[in-house]
Amino acid sequence: MTRQIASRLAPLFLCAALAAGMAAPAINAKTEVAECEVPADLQVVSAGLPRLAAKLRARQPVVIVAIGGASTKGAAAGAPELAYPHRLQVALAHVYPDVPFKVVNKGVPRQSAQQMFERFPSDVFAEDPVLVIWEAGIVDAVRGFEIDDFAGAMQQGIEELKNRAIDIVLMDMQFSRSTATVINFERYLNTLHRVGDLNQVYVFPRFAMMRYWSEQNVFNFDEVAADERAKLAAKVYDCIGRRMAHSLRIGIQ
Amino acid sequence: MPEPSNQRDLRLDFFRGVALIFIFVDHIPENIFSYFTLQSVGFYDAAEVFIFISGFTAAIVYGQRLAAKGALYASAQVWRRAWQLYVAHVFLFVIFIAEVSYTVMTFNNPMYNEEMRVGDFLSEPHVAVIKALLLQFQPTFLDILPLYIVMLLIFPAVLIGLRYRPLLVLIPSFLVYLAVQVFGISVPAYPEGNVWYFNPLAWQFLFVLGAVLGHASARGRGFPWFRETTIAVAVAIAFAALVIRLSWTFGGLWEGFPGLLLKELWPVNKNNLSPIRLIPFLAAIVLVAAWVPPQARFLRAAASRPLVLAGQQSLEVFCLGILLSALGHFILSEYERGVAMQVLVNVGGIAGMLFTAKMIDWYKKMDRAPIAQATRTRPLPGDGAVR
Repeated sequence: MTRQIASRLAPLFLCAALAAGMAAPAINAKTEVAECEVPADLQVVSAGLPRLAAKLRARQPVVIVAIGGASTKGAAAGAPELAYPHRLQVALAHVYPDVPFKVVNKGVPRQSAQQMFERFPSDVFAEDPVLVIWEAGIVDAVRGFEIDDFAGAMQQGIEELKNRAIDIVLMDMQFSRSTATVINFERYLNTLHRVGDLNQVYVFPRFAMMRYWSEQNVFNFDEVAADERAKLAAKVYDCIGRRMAHSLRIGIQ
Repeated sequence: MPEPSNQRDLRLDFFRGVALIFIFVDHIPENIFSYFTLQSVGFYDAAEVFIFISGFTAAIVYGQRLAAKGALYASAQVWRRAWQLYVAHVFLFVIFIAEVSYTVMTFNNPMYNEEMRVGDFLSEPHVAVIKALLLQFQPTFLDILPLYIVMLLIFPAVLIGLRYRPLLVLIPSFLVYLAVQVFGISVPAYPEGNVWYFNPLAWQFLFVLGAVLGHASARGRGFPWFRETTIAVAVAIAFAALVIRLSWTFGGLWEGFPGLLLKELWPVNKNNLSPIRLIPFLAAIVLVAAWVPPQARFLRAAASRPLVLAGQQSLEVFCLGILLSALGHFILSEYERGVAMQVLVNVGGIAGMLFTAKMIDWYKKMDRAPIAQATRTRPLPGDGAVR
C-alpha cells in the first residue's frame, strides 16, 4: 500500500525535480535500473542447462530458438529488434562478448501449445538449436482449452526436445491486470509449472515478474497515451530479454 | 410438503451447504482459502458433491410428487425447476458480458491485443449471445449450471425409469459414462474448438447414481453394500487417495516435496469425470453413509444451522456464490490481493451466502404461514423447489 502511494506520488516529485532542473537525469537513471528488477524468489533457476553450458565453455556459436505466440513475435513493440528474443540476444552478447549468439524468433500469434508443437520440425529442428525457449499457454487459457490437451501437448514437445538432446526453458504467460479479471490463468499456469517440475525443466516465471512490475507500478499501461504504449511494450520486452539472459546465466552454472 | 425436520436427512443439506461454500472459494483464482477445500485433499472437489446430492435429493423430492400426483405433474415440476436454472444462467451471463465488455472496451495494453481478440468475446456478440442462450457458450464461471439444466431436462425419464427398474436407468447411464472414458466423446461448445467444461455425457452418471441411491433410501432400503469388506475397501481407497493428493498439494507448495505417482496420475481429467476422481469420491460417499447418521448431533448443532439452510436453498445460494466469486476475483485482481484482502473477500462472501440462505428461509416460512387463520389448501409456489 505504502509503495503504491509512493509510486503515485513519484510523478509529483519528478515534476518538482524537473522544476529544480539539476536532479532530473539522476532520477531517470534510477528508475531505468529499477524497471527490470524482480524479487529474489523470482530469480531461482531450478534446472540446469548442460548443453548450453558446454557450448559456452567451448566458445562455440550458440543458436537458441524462441518459439511462442504473439508476445514472442513482439508485434506490440513495433519491430522485431524490439521483441524479447532479440533483446535476449543483445543481452547475452553483452555478457559473453567472445561467443556468437543467434536467437531465432519463431513467434506466431494466436497459436495453442498443440499448434506450436506441430511447428517443431520446420521451426525448431531445422535451426539445430542448443536451447529452445518455449513460451506457451496464453491462447489455451484465453480460449479455455482442456487442461489435459494443454498438458499433453507440452509433455509431447518436451519429450521430443529431450530426445534430440536440446536444452529446454519454458516461459509462462504474460500478466496484465485487466486481462486477469476476465480470464482465469491460474489452472494453466499451475499446469505449465507442474509439467516443468515433472520433467525437471526450468519455467521462466514471466507472469509473476510482470505482475510484480505491475504492482510496483513500474509499467502502467493505463495512464499512458496511446502512442506511448508501443514504447512501453518495448521496455517490457527488453526487461523480459534481460531477465531471461540472467536466468540462463544461472542455469549454466 | 416438507417432511418434519426430525425425519429429514440433514447430511444432504449440510454437505451441500459445505459444497456451495467450497464452490465459491474455489472459483476465486489464487485464493489461499482454496487450500482448505476438498480439491486440495481429494481428487474430486465440491462439484462432485453438489451434483451427487442434487441427484439424490431430486429423486426423493420428485419421487414423492410422482407417487402422489402422477408422472406428468412431477415432470412439469422438474422442468419448471430447469427453467428457473436457465433464467439464473442467463442472468449470470448478462453479468459476465457486463464485466467483459467493460474490460475489453477499456483495454489498452497492446501486449495482449492479439490474444484478447482470440477470445472472440465481443467480436461477434450476436453469435455469442445466441450461443449462450443455447448453453453453448460457457465462459469462466458459467459452466456448471448448463450441466445441472441438462440433468433436470432428462430427469423425468430417470424418475419414471426408477419406479419400474432402477437398474434399467443405472446400466445405460454407466455405459454412456464408460463410452466417454474409452472413446473420449465430448460435447462441442462455442467458440469452435471448445467443449462443455462439465461433459454432460460423463457427469450424468454421478447425477443418476445419486438419484438411484436417493430413490432407494426414500423407500427405506438400506444400502446392501454396508458389509465390513466394503467399508474396509472404501477406507483403503479414501486413505490412499488422501495421501497421494496431499503429497501433490505439498509438492506444489514446497519445491522438492515428492508428489506421489504424480507422473502416472496427473493431470486428472475433470471434464470427463475421470475414474481417478469418481472412485475416491464413491469411497467417501460410502464412508459418510456408513459413519455419519442422518441426524448426527453435529448436524443439529446451532453452528451447523447456517450451512444446513444454505444447502436447503441451494439454487439461490449457488447463483449468489458464483456471482460473489466473480466479484471477489475482480476485487483481488483489480485492487489488492494481499492476505488480509483475501480473508476479507472470502469471509464477506461466505457471510453473504449464509445470510441470504437465512433470509430466504425466513421469507419462505412467512410466506407459508397462514394469513389470519385462513386455511390454504393450495400448494404454495416455491414449495416445489429441490432442497
